Amino acid sequence: MDLNPLVLDIVIFALTGISVISMVRVIIGPTTEDRLIGLNLVVAQIVGIMVVVAVKFNRSIYLDVALVYAILGFVSILAIARYTGGKEVQK
Amino acid sequence: MTEVILILLVIFGTLSLQFKKLLNAVICLAIFSLLSSLLFYYLHAPDVAIAEAAVGAGVATVLFVVIISKTRKEEK
Repeated sequence: MDLNPLVLDIVIFALTGISVISMVRVIIGPTTEDRLIGLNLVVAQIVGIMVVVAVKFNRSIYLDVALVYAILGFVSILAIARYTGGKEVQK
Repeated sequence: MTEVILILLVIFGTLSLQFKKLLNAVICLAIFSLLSSLLFYYLHAPDVAIAEAAVGAGVATVLFVVIISKTRKEEK
């Protein structure tokens, strides 16, 4: 993989800045639903950071962390969403 | 990069103690475990990061939400 390392560093710093800005919504969000959407956004961006860093380190074991988190982060977000909106759906 | 993750860990750990609604504290703890998994990842320990991701996102958050739905919703 002969990508320019400078490009990878720029992408990693940009994704880190975007995810820090997205964490502000989790901190100041008025309702629980806002914080849940912010959690979903932060999980997606940090999985992206993990994939780009795996390309930078050039090892395949680092890609498995992103794979495990992409599967299991979905489960936790689904559990919280089922708890916040499940009662109104049943009635 | 490691310093940014450590500062964010302190912020979210303090914030999860401050919330009155317990579901908001669970969401902050989910971000806390995500950030600590990313910290292990940057320190070249991907197997520890896999264990932290599986426990923090898969087991702990679901267990907390189930227990909160069976007990009181807010802190006194």
